[in-house]
Amino acid sequence: MSDLTLPRLQHIIGSGTVAAVGIWVTYVSYTQQPSEAFLFPRLIATVFVVLAAWTFFKACMGWTKVGNGISVAQMTNLAPGLVVAMVYIFWMAKGLGFYTATTIAFFVLLSLYDPAPHRALQSWLKRIIITACFIAVMYGLFALLLKVFTPREIMF
Amino acid sequence: MKKLLAGAAMALMGLTTTASADGHANYPERPIMMMVSYGAGGATDFQARIVTMTAGNEDALGMPIAILNKPGAGGRVGWNWLASQAEADGYTLGAYNIPHFIAQSIKGGVEYSADSFEPIANWGADPAVLVVGKDSDFNTLQDVVDFATANPGKLTTSGAGLFVGHHIAALQMEKAGGMKLAYIPTKGGGAAAMKAVIAGEVMAGINNLSDAFRAREAGNVKILAVADLERNEFLPDVPTMMESGLDVDNSSVNFRGVMVPKGTPQGIIDKLAETVPTMFENSRVAGKMKAGGSPMHIMTRDEVLAMWAAREETLKELLAGL
Amino acid sequence: MEFIFYFGDVFTPVSFALLLVGTIGGLILGATPGLSPTMAVALLIPFTFQLEAAQGLILLGAAYTSTVAGGAVSAILLKIPGAPANIATTLDGHTMAQKGQGAKALQLSFLSSAVGGIFGVLLLIFLTPVLAQWALAFGPSHLFWLAILGVTVIGSLDSRSVVKGLLSGCIGLWLATIGFDDIMGAQRFIFHPSLGGGINIIAALIGLFAIPQVITMFARGRRNDAAEVIKVEKHPIGGAIRELFRNNRAMGIGTVTGSIIGLIPGVGGQIAGLVAYDQSKKFSPQRDKFGTGHPEGLVAAESANNAMVGPSLVPLLTLSIPGSPTAAVLLGGLLIHGIFPGTDLFDNHPDVAWTFINSMLIGQILMCIFGLYVAGLAARIAMVPQSVMAAVVLGLAVFGSYSVQSSMGDVYVMASLGVMMYFLERFGFSAAPLVLGLILGPIAESNFIQGSMIANATDGMAPYFLGGGLNIFLIAVVIASILYSGYLELRSRRYTSKEEIMA
Repeated sequence: MSDLTLPRLQHIIGSGTVAAVGIWVTYVSYTQQPSEAFLFPRLIATVFVVLAAWTFFKACMGWTKVGNGISVAQMTNLAPGLVVAMVYIFWMAKGLGFYTATTIAFFVLLSLYDPAPHRALQSWLKRIIITACFIAVMYGLFALLLKVFTPREIMF
Repeated sequence: MKKLLAGAAMALMGLTTTASADGHANYPERPIMMMVSYGAGGATDFQARIVTMTAGNEDALGMPIAILNKPGAGGRVGWNWLASQAEADGYTLGAYNIPHFIAQSIKGGVEYSADSFEPIANWGADPAVLVVGKDSDFNTLQDVVDFATANPGKLTTSGAGLFVGHHIAALQMEKAGGMKLAYIPTKGGGAAAMKAVIAGEVMAGINNLSDAFRAREAGNVKILAVADLERNEFLPDVPTMMESGLDVDNSSVNFRGVMVPKGTPQGIIDKLAETVPTMFENSRVAGKMKAGGSPMHIMTRDEVLAMWAAREETLKELLAGL
Repeated sequence: MEFIFYFGDVFTPVSFALLLVGTIGGLILGATPGLSPTMAVALLIPFTFQLEAAQGLILLGAAYTSTVAGGAVSAILLKIPGAPANIATTLDGHTMAQKGQGAKALQLSFLSSAVGGIFGVLLLIFLTPVLAQWALAFGPSHLFWLAILGVTVIGSLDSRSVVKGLLSGCIGLWLATIGFDDIMGAQRFIFHPSLGGGINIIAALIGLFAIPQVITMFARGRRNDAAEVIKVEKHPIGGAIRELFRNNRAMGIGTVTGSIIGLIPGVGGQIAGLVAYDQSKKFSPQRDKFGTGHPEGLVAAESANNAMVGPSLVPLLTLSIPGSPTAAVLLGGLLIHGIFPGTDLFDNHPDVAWTFINSMLIGQILMCIFGLYVAGLAARIAMVPQSVMAAVVLGLAVFGSYSVQSSMGDVYVMASLGVMMYFLERFGFSAAPLVLGLILGPIAESNFIQGSMIANATDGMAPYFLGGGLNIFLIAVVIASILYSGYLELRSRRYTSKEEIMA
């Protein structure tokens, strides 16, 4: 038994979640009706839950070899981007219309992760130009060429 | 300044209310979407694409109709979406298949019923036919009935799914002949069911007339009977089931047409109900449909409403024992 | 040899122009995330209304061949597989692009696509009647064993831990059961309205492959790392051709596997690439290099998924049975002109049939030429800074997954699966086996249920699923595949433990 390091804790949480999903899936497959329709899910769920339990056990014992987990630095790096992406996909895209939402999300993400200095006007100009080009290409490809009718609330 | 703004706001509100009150005179203002609850390339999809191809003409809607496929579970996925998630703004139409969606709604487990939709017009009627492989020993419907009566539950019969037209036809045959079939629903629609017949995986199959006609032209199957009230113009030599002594009416005939979700403004429904049947009557549409072996049957909104009600009644009776 | 007489028809000005339009358009559509070959062909059907039958089919045939190849572009450069066929391409193709060998990867992928594709079309030309019988030989029981054969691949595919590979596969198999079950119509695991239609495979592919990559780029943070900018190596086409011939074993395995699997209705192109990839990995002496940007894996995957194009049309053209969704759409393109596939097609409209087949043959070559021409340029995408790339891929993923069925639900599913996959990948799970489970689950389930219904009505389960030459052969292959994987696993374990002792 080694120390409870961060990767090991993460592995326990990760495989624990998978195992919990496995238990839920097994429970649902064995309780729902009609049973003919759940024959195949039962088969899968049984294998699923056995494998998940084994993985969870290995993680608890600290035997896991594969997978590096996520370092604290990585977590702080990805958090803002992930939040913006989720807000964009789950709320803005439908609420503001695809093109408006994409413009905003694209620009925000670029500003967050583009290494060019935030103080220089030049780098802001560059970001605006890149955003405009991207939206133009997307509009041309999806709206004009493929005629996909995306949700439109504000503007196009 | 404040007054001016308020005035402008009032004017704007006035504008919007008049626009929505005047019966959607400008409808449609943008391309329309039509949901087909079967995959691209299936019979319903193919016909839907043909009958809507002239929608953009000035004498029709003046705006094109784009087909959107939402296949899955014998059509349940698409109709569920249309009933519960689609916007009832007149820009989302759906293709219906009778008896499929009514039978499924009677059977339960879905979020729609005949009341969830408003029919617009009917374009086609594709009867179910009984097919056997080209080398099969069965040559008439009587041969099949004899075998099924002698071997209850042994006659494997493929069809496109449970509670679709093919299944209804099989149930009616069982009821009329007092026999038991082994109905095998296939995943992948009529094409997969037909493949099962041609490859000899099953002894017989119930399939769409249009697909069976093509398979017979290719020399792969024999068509033994049509489940309709009269013989079909594509197959004048094939008897109806009634002629062959099995009391099966036209309840399983697959009617295809256009509908909208309930809640669509009445003005739009009226406009569509008026324009869409004439769009179907276009000679180019009729020519392409005939070339593809798809029987047409144009009905107006009122006729379709009556047909839906009649089907619902027969299906409730037929499915009551299941 | 009849087809040679109709070659002239392909080279009339109008036909050739259509062939060019179809090829270039197909490459662009294929490279767009979210557009599978089936959808691309369906989009082009309205244009054929105005054309003559032969010309319309030239357009469709060219588009079909080049969309399949075009899918490799986004798979290699963006790690977004355009269709299930391109999953295996991402495994080595994208890793090559990350190492700056994007140009080489693209060139190899187009060349092997062309080789596989031409072989497939030639099979279609010369062996159609034989192949048609073979395609029909696969009934539900055989398709079930075939799907199980695919499952045996899961454990060894792109994962360093067999247990986690299998667990990923199980997650995929479970995800595939979400939604209405296809035969009974019962609702399963629909815990959110977006899942009402089940998980769309294209949307899932985009999420599982593209989103983890976006998050990985986020995780690197805001850094000015000029030193890490990828140098895109130029690569001569001649070199790519020599490289291709150096990998002739992978090319052979890919082409043969692709042609055989492509022929089977209902399974078709979805798993051809993955099975070919796995087979060439097992037969390769350098199997450890697979997944690290090894050209062999790329060649096998791409030659397989284009080799399946020709044979996948055999059931359609001879028996009028569409064996794949794309074939079903092509059937519509024929019917609209009143032409019925089958004997009618070859006897009464040989000009249409052979012009169509020839256009696919020439389409393969044109596709290859165009592809090679733009490969160098397209590979420069790897030079785009990762901050821009992350935002671009995210935007493409959203638009692509939406356009599959014009459904917000698909976008939500895409994003949820993607975020889940990022975290799972950090714990040693991987996307490829998960996706394979997602594809194989429905095939195995529906064929098992259908087969057992037939079996119960006829001679019983055991004789139906275990009897007959083809069943026994497939079962033998399944067992061999499991034993071989186990043997390789044990051997590599012994090696690693030895190394550990040495260290």
